[in-house]
Amino acid sequence: MNERDLDFQLIQRIQNGEQQAFTLLVKKYQNRVANILTRYVRNNGDIADVAQEVFIKVFNSLPSFRGDSAFYTWLYRITVNTAKNYLTSQGRRPPASDIDAMEADSYDGSDALKESDDPEGILRSQEIKNVILDTIKLLPVELKSAITLRELEGMSYEEIATIEDCPIGTVRSRIYRAREAIDKQLKPLLED
Amino acid sequence: MKDNNEQLSTLIDNEIIDHEVCESQLLDELITNKRQQAQFSRYHLVGDVMRGEVVDQFINIDISQQVMARIEKQAESAQVVTPDTPVYAMKESNNIVSFAKRFSQYAIAASVAGIVVLTSIVTSQPGIENNEPGIEVLNTVPFGGAVAPVSLQASHMQSKQAIKEHNERLDALLKDHQLQLQTQP
Repeated sequence: MNERDLDFQLIQRIQNGEQQAFTLLVKKYQNRVANILTRYVRNNGDIADVAQEVFIKVFNSLPSFRGDSAFYTWLYRITVNTAKNYLTSQGRRPPASDIDAMEADSYDGSDALKESDDPEGILRSQEIKNVILDTIKLLPVELKSAITLRELEGMSYEEIATIEDCPIGTVRSRIYRAREAIDKQLKPLLED
Repeated sequence: MKDNNEQLSTLIDNEIIDHEVCESQLLDELITNKRQQAQFSRYHLVGDVMRGEVVDQFINIDISQQVMARIEKQAESAQVVTPDTPVYAMKESNNIVSFAKRFSQYAIAASVAGIVVLTSIVTSQPGIENNEPGIEVLNTVPFGGAVAPVSLQASHMQSKQAIKEHNERLDALLKDHQLQLQTQP
């Protein structure tokens, strides 16, 4: 973790007693944690509870986190261990094979959700996903390219600037404009 | 507003360079400003959806408030468990308690030992005249006088008179022994 890393800065603040900084870590990673949990937790209703357990464990363990590895790698391990403990407590056997943190990023856990009990929630979620993906399709090419290289390929602004043959400031502006365009459509849906 | 959101967009990409103070201020605001936090969540949601890292039923759920409430509750309960008494005072009172406990244990042990010794003194001095028939005793008469028979069984209580007689015999034995020492060259 380098010092410019947002996670690193948030963790430092939490370790210095600024508890509220943890809110941002939860907001940032809750979807990814839930996505990992779908591999283990089949009951939808339990995913939010187990995800809460994960973040409580993370918070309690943060004083000993030294930053030798990326925060997400550490979070991933805690998530899998918590999920396995959950399965054991439910009298079920954890899966024999694990997926690693890199595979988990591309793992589509939606198929694992067999006990969906909130059709309205699913429809709403699909609507949110559609709005985001449809808006990206309609973006001007340079904005679409910038946000895709950043979010899907994980490239730095410098790398994108090289590929797009433009200044870093332009990359920064394009990514921001792409996000704003999507957010304009997304915000009303989430504020309902 | 635009500048703030653009900075926020740059911040979540870890791309703010050489603006440490600015970044710190931005984080300060982000930690306290709910509107910016919502913006932060939505920006991350866009990335999560693009990468397919979302669960359908979870997109709309924000567990951050529940998590923070549990953390606060946890901190409060930890404070309740922690006593106001300073640690050094606790240690001192613990020492006093352990000393008293140990002292009482010694006192009980000493009392029991004392009773056992007294009982054995009293019961191991059978009166000759009170020997019951049928009890096997080893009758040994040492030089200088008679001594009470030895027995592993002491089924009767000794009278004060018997103890007195025993003491008198013992005194006589000692005097005799001293006289012998004086007469030797």
